[in-house]
Amino acid sequence: MSIKDKVPVTILTGFLGSGKTTLLNRILSEEHGKRIAVIENEYGEVGIDQGLVINADEEVFEMSNGCICCTVRGDLIRVLGNLMKRRDKFDYVLVETTGLADPGPVAQTFFMDEEISSEFTLDGIVTLVDAAHIDQQLGRSEESSEQVAFADVLVLNKTDLVSDDALDTLESRLRDMNRMTRIIRAENAKVPIETVLNLSAFDLDQILKRRPTFLEPEYPFEWTGVYDLDAGKYELMLEEGPDPEMSLVALVNQGESEEELKDGAESSVRLYAENANTLEPGNTVPYGEHVNLKLEDKGNKSFILNIEKPTKIGLFTQHTAEEFNMKVIKSDENKEIPFNAERFWQAEHEHDDEVGSIAIERFGDVDPEKLNTWMGRLLSEKGVDIFRTKGFISYSGNPRRIVFQGVHMLFTAQPDKEWGNEPRRNQLVFIGRNLNEKEMQEGFDKCLI
Amino acid sequence: MPDIEPFSPRGMFHEGWTAEVNDYAIACGWALKGKQFIVGDVAGGLFAFEGDTGKIIWKKENTHSGGLLAMAIHPEGEIFATSGQDGNVQICNCHEGKVIKTLNLGKGWVEHLKWSNDGLFLAIASSKKVYVFNEIGEEKWISEDHPSTVSAITWSNKNELATACYGRVTFFDIVNNKTNQKLEWQGSLVSMELSPDGDIVACGSQDNSVHFWRRSTGMDAEMTGYPGKPSHLSFDDSGKLLATSGSERITVWSFTGNGPEGTMPGELCHHTEPISSLAFSNKGMLVASGSRDGSVVASFLKNDGNGDPVGAAFAGDLVGVISWRPDDCALAAVNAKGVVNVWKFKVRTNLFSKGFK
Repeated sequence: MSIKDKVPVTILTGFLGSGKTTLLNRILSEEHGKRIAVIENEYGEVGIDQGLVINADEEVFEMSNGCICCTVRGDLIRVLGNLMKRRDKFDYVLVETTGLADPGPVAQTFFMDEEISSEFTLDGIVTLVDAAHIDQQLGRSEESSEQVAFADVLVLNKTDLVSDDALDTLESRLRDMNRMTRIIRAENAKVPIETVLNLSAFDLDQILKRRPTFLEPEYPFEWTGVYDLDAGKYELMLEEGPDPEMSLVALVNQGESEEELKDGAESSVRLYAENANTLEPGNTVPYGEHVNLKLEDKGNKSFILNIEKPTKIGLFTQHTAEEFNMKVIKSDENKEIPFNAERFWQAEHEHDDEVGSIAIERFGDVDPEKLNTWMGRLLSEKGVDIFRTKGFISYSGNPRRIVFQGVHMLFTAQPDKEWGNEPRRNQLVFIGRNLNEKEMQEGFDKCLI
Repeated sequence: MPDIEPFSPRGMFHEGWTAEVNDYAIACGWALKGKQFIVGDVAGGLFAFEGDTGKIIWKKENTHSGGLLAMAIHPEGEIFATSGQDGNVQICNCHEGKVIKTLNLGKGWVEHLKWSNDGLFLAIASSKKVYVFNEIGEEKWISEDHPSTVSAITWSNKNELATACYGRVTFFDIVNNKTNQKLEWQGSLVSMELSPDGDIVACGSQDNSVHFWRRSTGMDAEMTGYPGKPSHLSFDDSGKLLATSGSERITVWSFTGNGPEGTMPGELCHHTEPISSLAFSNKGMLVASGSRDGSVVASFLKNDGNGDPVGAAFAGDLVGVISWRPDDCALAAVNAKGVVNVWKFKVRTNLFSKGFK
């Protein structure tokens, strides 16, 4: 059965009071044309107005192997198993979970149980968030951060109770936790129905279309300048800026093309991972080392750059040059040397929450066998902490793009559209808890051909 | 071909009759000693056909609002019970389909019904509770809440009822209201069958395995390696063989000798899609299987669980239930499109002209 023949299922999660039932009723009253079956937990907040409503006890069944990724919702298997015999009676399923539910088993049910996965397709996970209370809830309970992490769509509800500033802060916190989600602000769960139903939410294309830069990696530095320098002595001069110190890596023979800049950035990321040597003003800046410039003093501070033979120097700085009015001055001539090229990077920032997203984007083809081995190992070791996975992969020799999606350690991969003239590339997103981005990127890089 | 001997016995499906019900047929059974065949569809339609000809005797629609979930015909074949999403159980007579008694058990789905072998009790599972009523609909016993929804029930002897749910099989003495035995295992048990002597308990599990217990020794074993979940199980009448679904093959475990632990099961590869129904004949080692691909095959098995097909037919669509007539001389299959197929089944052996002894 192709995906188009399967009955789509939307999972509605969110804490008690976040507005799930209001949204359910809104969907049922606005979607007259659809025959919607609602599977509601026993403790539904208020009555559902219409439609085929089935009350089900949330029965979370763990397997004897102890693997949480094999955990399924037994009640859904029973109820949907029966509903699928009456195909004429409905064409959409909404599953509402209790506030404290872990969305994992619900989603896994649509992967793990063959009889269910052959008839139903998980269209999306919609999480409602009470804008006034989610901050506290995120601090207190794992379930609420998991519900955020699993969401294809986050409805930031009850925005009328919160200031715009607070909403912006909240939205950026939620986005940090789940970079692939779509956040919709709402009052009284008033959202356009098409933003929560028939999402084909697992379609990464749509997410990329909405936010093309979201796969861009983050770097520990914000700026790079490339300076073409003759042999001689130079001063790196900085004024006061936002920080009493700043990290820096200086590389020799730095090229100016985008590719060379990215190569330089990758080298710098590795250097940035090492401990920085502190440099006082007047010290000489070493090349290919992570240093920390002391900038506490008032006024101009100078650090020395010695150039033995003509080269291009790349400065990878924690903050932008502008913030410190940073200049490179040729000492004997007291002349400012402008940069030949500059590049801004998406800066890394502090992630307060354990739950976060990791994106990997690489051009080229991967070796399917190596990828399988890597993914297999990654998911078996870290599957518990990886909530969602989505991505496109380019297999060498395969004219079609491979699209895959997963929940915990379960994932499916299937051929998608042909690549055609598009450059072959791989785009992956992982959402999980305490994920090691560097390790995962390095692991993936080994799968490239 | 001197090397190839024709297997014995030989049998085949002969033309019988076909009929249609209104929706996906989910339950069927023979009543009045094989003179009547009753079919229930998922929408709550009930249809009684003449066993030999397929002529409709009576029909009823919308017997359970929301839909039918289970049907059980009394061993004497004069009455039967149905249950549905409406939380009701109806006890009806087979001759006219008239409702004798309606029992309301609340709002939960009533998913399982089983008459005891002597027909004195009707066991009913709804959500986490199991109820026992007598033939005229008087309540005799109610269980406490199980830890999860009851997924299967079966009688182990005339007063003892076995229930399966997540993580547990429990045996209740329903006359003296006590728990005789609890067999625990962390897994979602989706099906349960007992050997005819009641000693072996076999459960299919959500994690694609079959779990066995021997009540007499307390020994248990787990049979893994199924590609899918074994939702359908059937013991032969001697208790030697257990046929299981879980893929497009029928896997047959033999309890002869020291088996099935440490033995290779018999495998019957007759279908192209997963098995959707299984039933041993009432007598003898003849197993009928129906598949999602619509095929129906009868196979004659040996003690080791292997065997050969003795007949096959096409039922048109996913075979929901198959049922042998009490004398094993006819086989019925009902499918997902609501089509009813009944074939005369004739077997030739050296000794018997029909059936199995």
